[in-house]
Amino acid sequence: MIVWLRQHGLALAGAFRHLLRSPGSFSLNVIVVAIALALPFAGLTLLENVRPVSEQLAVEPEISVFMAMDTPRERTTALAEQIRRIVQDSGNAGKLEFIPREHALSLLKNKTGLDDAITALGENPLPDGYVLKLSGVRTASDAAKVESLAAQLKSLPGVEYVQIDSAWVKRLAALMHVLRLALLFLAATLGVVVVAVIFNTIRLQVMTQRDEIEVCRMFGATDSYIYRPFYYTGALLGLCAGAAALGAVAIALHPLNDAIADFARLYASEFRLAPLGLPATVAMLATSAGLGLMGALLSVRRHLARLA
Amino acid sequence: MIEFRHVSKQYGRSSAALADINLTIDKGELVYLSGPSGAGKSTLLKMIAVMERPTSGTVSVNGQDVGRLNASGLPYLRRNLGLILQPQCLLNDRSVLANVMLPLLVVGTGKADAEKRARAALDKVGLLDKAASDPMALSGGEQQRVAIARAIVNRPQIILADEPTANLDRASARKVMDALKAFHGVGVTCIIATHDESILASAPRVVYLERGRLAEGPVQDSLQGAA
Repeated sequence: MIVWLRQHGLALAGAFRHLLRSPGSFSLNVIVVAIALALPFAGLTLLENVRPVSEQLAVEPEISVFMAMDTPRERTTALAEQIRRIVQDSGNAGKLEFIPREHALSLLKNKTGLDDAITALGENPLPDGYVLKLSGVRTASDAAKVESLAAQLKSLPGVEYVQIDSAWVKRLAALMHVLRLALLFLAATLGVVVVAVIFNTIRLQVMTQRDEIEVCRMFGATDSYIYRPFYYTGALLGLCAGAAALGAVAIALHPLNDAIADFARLYASEFRLAPLGLPATVAMLATSAGLGLMGALLSVRRHLARLA
Repeated sequence: MIEFRHVSKQYGRSSAALADINLTIDKGELVYLSGPSGAGKSTLLKMIAVMERPTSGTVSVNGQDVGRLNASGLPYLRRNLGLILQPQCLLNDRSVLANVMLPLLVVGTGKADAEKRARAALDKVGLLDKAASDPMALSGGEQQRVAIARAIVNRPQIILADEPTANLDRASARKVMDALKAFHGVGVTCIIATHDESILASAPRVVYLERGRLAEGPVQDSLQGAA
C-alpha cells in the first residue's frame, strides 16, 4: 500500500514537473480547453438560475371561471359550493375567490390604465367570475388533473369559459426541456473537443518523453508506472481548464447582471444570475478532470502501446 | 543460469542476425562476447533482456523461457538485470544522481533510500563528486560509469554490457572494466560484448560470434558453452 501510494506521489510529482517545465504550452492548452468548457458551463449556470423561477411559477396555477353575461348573481354565488366540492373530489386543494364583474372592471381600469377607453364603452363588458388558485401542483400528472378539473368546471350551468393559466407554464417547461437537451448536446460535442485536445497534448508529451519511457522500461517499470504521470497530467489539465472556465463564467456574470437588473426592474423583479453553487461547481470540476483523464487514457493506451 | 537453445533471429528477409545459437552461461560467470560488427552480439544481449525475441528456439533465464514472457511479466525479469547499452540512454533533463536513482524509484523504493543507494553506487564507480552534475557535462568515460552505476544500483543478478569501453581512452576503459569486474567478484553474472583485444586477452571465457553464428575465433571457447 505504501509503495502504491509512493508510486502515485511520484506520478503526480512527475506530472507537475512536466507542466512546470513548459508553463507556456500548458497555459495555452488550459485556455483552449477552458474555452470549450466555458460555453456549456455558462449554459448550465443560466439553466440553474432559471430553474427555480420556473418551478415557482409552475406550483400555483390559476383557473379562471367566467360566467355567462346573463347568469344571475344569485346563481353565480350559489356555484361556489359546487366548485369547492368538485375541487375536493378531484384530489386538488386550492383557494376560491369570487370576482364580481364590478370589481373585475375596477381591477382592469387600475392595472391597465385604460380608464377612459373603458368608460367610453358605456356598460361593463366583464362577466362575474371565480379565480381558483390551486396549490401543490408539481408534477406532470398533477398538471393533467388540473386540465380534467377545468373540463368539469366548464360543464357547470352558467359557465361560459374556463381559462387555465398553466398553459404558458407548460410552454416554459417545454422550452426549458429543449434548452436542457440542447445544452446536453452542446456539452457532449464540446466534451469530445476537450478529449481530443487532451489526447493530442498527451500524444506530444509521450513523444517528448520517449527516451525516459524507454529507460524506465529497461529497468523494469510496469505499464502502470509509465502511464500514471500522463493520467495525472490529463486530469490536471482538465481540472485547471474547468476552474478557468468556471472563473470566466463567474466574471462574465457581473456585466450581464447589470443589464439583467435593468430589465428585471421593469417587472418589479430582483432576478439576478448567480454563479453555480458549491455542489455543482465540484461536479463540474470533477467532470473536467474526468474528461482530461479520459483523453489521457485514450492517448496513452494508443501511443505507448506503439512504443512497447 | 542463462541458456540459448537453437536460437535464431531473422529480421524480415535479410540474413539471420543469429542462427542456431546454443550457449549456456552459469550463474556468477564472467563471459565476453566478441566478434566483428554486425555479428549479433547486441542481438544476443537484447534477447536476454527480451528487448528482442527469438524467431525460433528458446532463451531461458533461471529456467524461465523469457521469449514467452508476456508484457506483465517482463518488468519483473528486467528488475534482475543491469543493462549497460550503447548509447547509454542517460536522461539529460536531470542530474547524474537522479539518473542513477531511476531504477530504484521504478520499483517503488522510497526517495531517501533511493538517494542513499544511488550515492553508494556512484561512489563505487568513483563519481560521487559528480552526483549533482548534468550528464552532458561529463566525459564519455564518466557517462559510461554513470550507466554502470545505474545498472548496478538495483543489485541485479545479471549485468549485460554492450561495448562498455567503446570510444573511451585506455585509462577510462580500465576504470569501467575494473568496476564491472568488481561486481563479478561479488557473484554477479556479467556478459560483456566488446571488440577490445586488450580486454579479451585476459578474459576467462570468450564467446566468439561471426555472421550470427558461434564460431572459432582468435580467443574463444564457444564449444565450452555450447550444448
